[in-house]
Amino acid sequence: MKLTRRDFSRLAGSGLVAAAISKLFAPALAQNKPLRIGIIAPRSGAAGTAGECGIRAVQWATERMNKEGGIAGRKFELVIEEETNPKDTIERLRRLILQEKVDAIHGLISTGVSLGVAPVAEEEQALVVMWDGTTQDGVKEMMPNSKYVFRSTDNECEAVMGSLLAVKHFKGKFKRVAGINPDYSYGRNNWEAFKQILARYGVETEFVVEQWPKIGTMDLTSHIAALNAAKPDLIFSSMLFADLPVFMKQGHAAGLFNGVKMVLPAAGWQINQLKKEFTPEGIIFGHNTLYFDHPQASPLQKAFVQDYMDRYKEAPHWEADRAYFALATYKAGVEAAQKAGGKWPTQEQVAEAMPGLEVESLGGKGRFRKDKIAEQVFYQGPSTNTNKYDFPTLASIDTFQAEQLQKPPGADFWEWIKTAKMPV
Amino acid sequence: MSNQSIDIGSETVVRRTVLRPNGLRVLLGLTVIMALLPFIASPYVLLLMLPFIGYSIALLGFNLLFGNTGLLSFGHALFLGVGAYTAAALTSKFGVLSFELLLLVATLMSALVSLVVGALCVRYTRIFFGMLTLAFGMLFHSFLFKFYYITGGDQGMRVLRPLLLGMEWRGGKTAFLTGPFYYYALLLFALLGLVMWRITQSPFGLHLRAIRENAGKAAYVGVQIFRMRLAAFVISAVYGGIGGTILAVTTGLADPELAYWTHSGNLVFMAVLGGSGTFAGPAIGALVFVVLQDFVMSITQYWRFVMGAVLVLLVVFMPQGLSGTVEALVNRRQGGR
Repeated sequence: MKLTRRDFSRLAGSGLVAAAISKLFAPALAQNKPLRIGIIAPRSGAAGTAGECGIRAVQWATERMNKEGGIAGRKFELVIEEETNPKDTIERLRRLILQEKVDAIHGLISTGVSLGVAPVAEEEQALVVMWDGTTQDGVKEMMPNSKYVFRSTDNECEAVMGSLLAVKHFKGKFKRVAGINPDYSYGRNNWEAFKQILARYGVETEFVVEQWPKIGTMDLTSHIAALNAAKPDLIFSSMLFADLPVFMKQGHAAGLFNGVKMVLPAAGWQINQLKKEFTPEGIIFGHNTLYFDHPQASPLQKAFVQDYMDRYKEAPHWEADRAYFALATYKAGVEAAQKAGGKWPTQEQVAEAMPGLEVESLGGKGRFRKDKIAEQVFYQGPSTNTNKYDFPTLASIDTFQAEQLQKPPGADFWEWIKTAKMPV
Repeated sequence: MSNQSIDIGSETVVRRTVLRPNGLRVLLGLTVIMALLPFIASPYVLLLMLPFIGYSIALLGFNLLFGNTGLLSFGHALFLGVGAYTAAALTSKFGVLSFELLLLVATLMSALVSLVVGALCVRYTRIFFGMLTLAFGMLFHSFLFKFYYITGGDQGMRVLRPLLLGMEWRGGKTAFLTGPFYYYALLLFALLGLVMWRITQSPFGLHLRAIRENAGKAAYVGVQIFRMRLAAFVISAVYGGIGGTILAVTTGLADPELAYWTHSGNLVFMAVLGGSGTFAGPAIGALVFVVLQDFVMSITQYWRFVMGAVLVLLVVFMPQGLSGTVEALVNRRQGGR
């Protein structure tokens, strides 16, 4: 076939028009594709059950939100990767950004991992909304001005609340105090926060023994023997992984809990494993940001808990709420940014829109502060074994807001804990 | 019924270990392919190649001990940890950003630590050597984990972006890693590969192989067993330290898991996967391991099971590793030489 100059001009002209049309409609075409949200969560090991609970919650939320039109009119899908050690998790994060080309990344539970992941996300300009991860080195915030990384409430919130409730419910009823906490920064800071709060409230105490088992230690008999030998009146433990039920089981067998008061600010993570037969009543029992059996639960929480318990035959815990909260705030951020700009927003615009937007999460209302740290509602209280389940529930519920439990932006935690107005 | 057990630290592997010039050719071929990769591969694939380069360098050293000297270390991740934490301490605590200086200090630190550890370990062989190196690896891991005021504990220490040849590279971290740093690390890999080739071909390398074959006879003909083993240990540690520095810069973090025994296990896995009996085998093992793990992790949450199954199949059906199997097949096609 001979190509004349006229044919060529016509062809070139149509090519130009086609190119222009494709540019013109590119955003519209992009918006027809489903939004992709990367999820990074542990699926095995000590935090595996927690990660799985969060994944189930986002899957539930995805189905529900997509039925209602998705995010700003776009359906969305999840791309799940496993959170393991910092090095491998950073590689998974890069895979989600560069290979899977996701629009945002949610998840991350371990601060040991998220502290390494956050600077990489910031460098890659990737919007990350953490479920339970923070960027605290100890109690010091390392990224006070992050642009793309949203963090959970401070790690110490539950310990501060548990300590305050120990004062409220047990003051004057104990003197000899023992601690058994996981041997990493979370455990050490929680124990120190507990000691500082008791001192601030003038509780006369004698700290008789400190035990520091490594996370995931499944034989705690030597630690239990040391606790038993110290004859404490009260035991404080911020254990929260699979080792907590082991501790309770082995401690019960050794008679450790007879007449001893207990404060377990993070026990809710293991609610399904803490069976009544080895878990005494009256423990200050922390459920963090989701108490599944709340009598005044919102319709959203009731629907979720019912679906979850019907499907998985166990109770959901706070990781479900954190995961839902991350998704709900992201959705609100995208929709707010789109409304403000009149077109599909960039990750930067979403990140700018998210702080301050109040959303309803499973456990209650929450928001991100301007420094991109979450504020949610916390639930704890004395436990009871009088219920229809095979694990404890709360006899009475104490409810605190995160503003009451975490340091304000820029503050030093140890200074704040000495001077802050406390809710008890 | 015969009871055949696989003693990977002893004569079974040792007899297969024959150095051939094609090992160097494979390594150089790999380098050339890697050098061309940025023209065709996505940034993510290039990022994936950086751990491969880091591990390959570490494994060149590891195999000097394992393949050549017959000493199987179960704590070699210790030296990757030393390299990584040296980079972390220098960049984030002391503000030293020169990558050349990081490499130099990591080399010195690895050599220093390995002199002390090696002086105790190389007096023993087989399982005793393996257990001692494992113990030192775990001691170092405990130090990193427990002394968190110094090391950051479980949270590790950040490794800041270094300067290459004194130059600051603008642009995002991915552009830096997949551009200048990629080629820098690749050049290091090629240079260290050549150096290791020279080492294995030198009289020192011959001494090591003699020690591996029969330490008693080697001593009888005048080989200084302890000094040679210690020298091999120190060299392998230096390679580990440099590999660890590359890994840490890529990740941007040094964390205790780098020195954990499972990481040492991964190094053994890579060496066995590629074939410790050939010069380039462990590097090929590193490449396959990194790519396989990435692929399996992205398709199933049971990736550990798959990786374990691969190891089992490998040990049962291909004890000589991938490169050894390929070599055997080529030999068979060429008339069963």
